[in-house]
Amino acid sequence: MTEPIIKPDVMRISWGPQHPMSGQTRILLDVDGEKVHKIIADLGFTHRGIEKILENRSFFQGIIPIERMVMADTTNIGMGYVSAIEKALNIEVPERAKWIRSLMCEMSRINSHLYAFGLQAEATGYFPAVFLWTTVDRTILLDLFEELTGARWSYNFILPGGVHKDFPEGFQAKLIKGVEYLRRRFEDYWEAMVENAVFEARCNGLAVLKPEDAIRLGATGPVLRGSGIPMDTRKDDPYAAYPDLDFDVITEPACDVMARTKVRYREIGESLKIMEQVANEIPEGPISTKTSFFVRSKPAEVMSRVETARGELGIHMYTEAAPNPYRVKINSPTLRNMYVFERLAELDEILMADIPVVINSIDPWYLDSDR
Amino acid sequence: MSEESLLAGIKEAHSDSIESAAVLQPRCISVVAKMDGFVELAESMKTRFGFTQPVACGGVDYPGEQRIQMIYYAGNPEHKVMLTLRVNLPRDGPRMPTLTGVWGAMDFHEREAYEMFGIEFEGHPNMIPFLLPPDWRGGHPLRKDFKGEGVTQ
Repeated sequence: MTEPIIKPDVMRISWGPQHPMSGQTRILLDVDGEKVHKIIADLGFTHRGIEKILENRSFFQGIIPIERMVMADTTNIGMGYVSAIEKALNIEVPERAKWIRSLMCEMSRINSHLYAFGLQAEATGYFPAVFLWTTVDRTILLDLFEELTGARWSYNFILPGGVHKDFPEGFQAKLIKGVEYLRRRFEDYWEAMVENAVFEARCNGLAVLKPEDAIRLGATGPVLRGSGIPMDTRKDDPYAAYPDLDFDVITEPACDVMARTKVRYREIGESLKIMEQVANEIPEGPISTKTSFFVRSKPAEVMSRVETARGELGIHMYTEAAPNPYRVKINSPTLRNMYVFERLAELDEILMADIPVVINSIDPWYLDSDR
Repeated sequence: MSEESLLAGIKEAHSDSIESAAVLQPRCISVVAKMDGFVELAESMKTRFGFTQPVACGGVDYPGEQRIQMIYYAGNPEHKVMLTLRVNLPRDGPRMPTLTGVWGAMDFHEREAYEMFGIEFEGHPNMIPFLLPPDWRGGHPLRKDFKGEGVTQ
């Protein structure tokens, strides 16, 4: 980081990557007393070259490394890659498989939002219990995933042509039971955390991102919707079973850290609604069209966009007559939101002590931004 | 307004500065531009055709044709259409003007393209390594002839 410090009273502080709230990144902060003048993000600590790895793997093999981009949200990432493969190879997906995909994407979104929610509680420094609650409640979802896919974390369950397996016996009843339990828990979260006076004092009016700035800086996902702009790829460029499902795009008008937290909270409610719909209304039929593991493609260029928990993920894939893709460009949501975070110090007054709260409000996942 | 009518408007307004334009797939259009007047074209995309939301940018290497294609992705929040704005650069010493003046958020992505493909962006405010380590000596990883040799010297 070679950029010089401009003002004489300003001190440059290196924050992370060993700070408890920073994750695997380093941030340079130019501070004058408590006030932050400038934020400089130093990314790349977890760069693994996933785009290059994908060029050297067959289409099926690529699903495994790409799901490692965001471990809390593997299904949504895999969904983006697999739908790019399906577009490039012209593979049809049966209706039932689409519904199972949507169900898994929503369970994955809840899982990720719960984690973000717990971390936000940690960052404000007052609610260590909430992080433990969300961790325990995530096991409800992990149990459901284990029942369906056989794995608790990385599933590789969405495959080109459909999904790996159908619902096990009695799975729908377990889904309903899980949804009912989580609904009860969310009322507790609202009272214990969102309506809590200390949490409100820390988060209300902090790091305001106006709607026009959110668009101009390229914000995405809950950060964009937290600024009151109703953009969601599930509605704007529908995939899987989302055209048939009934859910709302959540927005909050306040544009601050609290608004982003509330968007995540209310999105969990929408995801639970979708889970319930899938459990009750899923159509019967086959779950996959047969696709060879050693499938070869024709020259093509496709773009697939999905809404992950952090925002819009774009997979731009070039193929040629070969068993592997020629080039895969991953437009990751965290990288876009990290740029917004860098600019926030110029848009609003941020204090040094608020940095953990502000950075967690964009829900960063550095394996996603570094790829 | 659909992607077809947007595309027709772009073709009509900028027939001099674009090589080809097509609908890539529903809600996604592709415009291949000439190098001359590229920044003005991007500016017009933003102000006149509503592609105000920067998404990303990156390259594709074609060693057989001795070119690198640079692609800028931008979204239109009103019509929900994505633009892929492309320009072809020579593979030896690729240089082009930066688009950070049009879409500020291309800052990070152009730095990434600089180290991954070796593309020089003239006028970029902060052209330093982004994801790779500062002492990286291995060349440009996303070029097709990268073999992973000499990266640890």
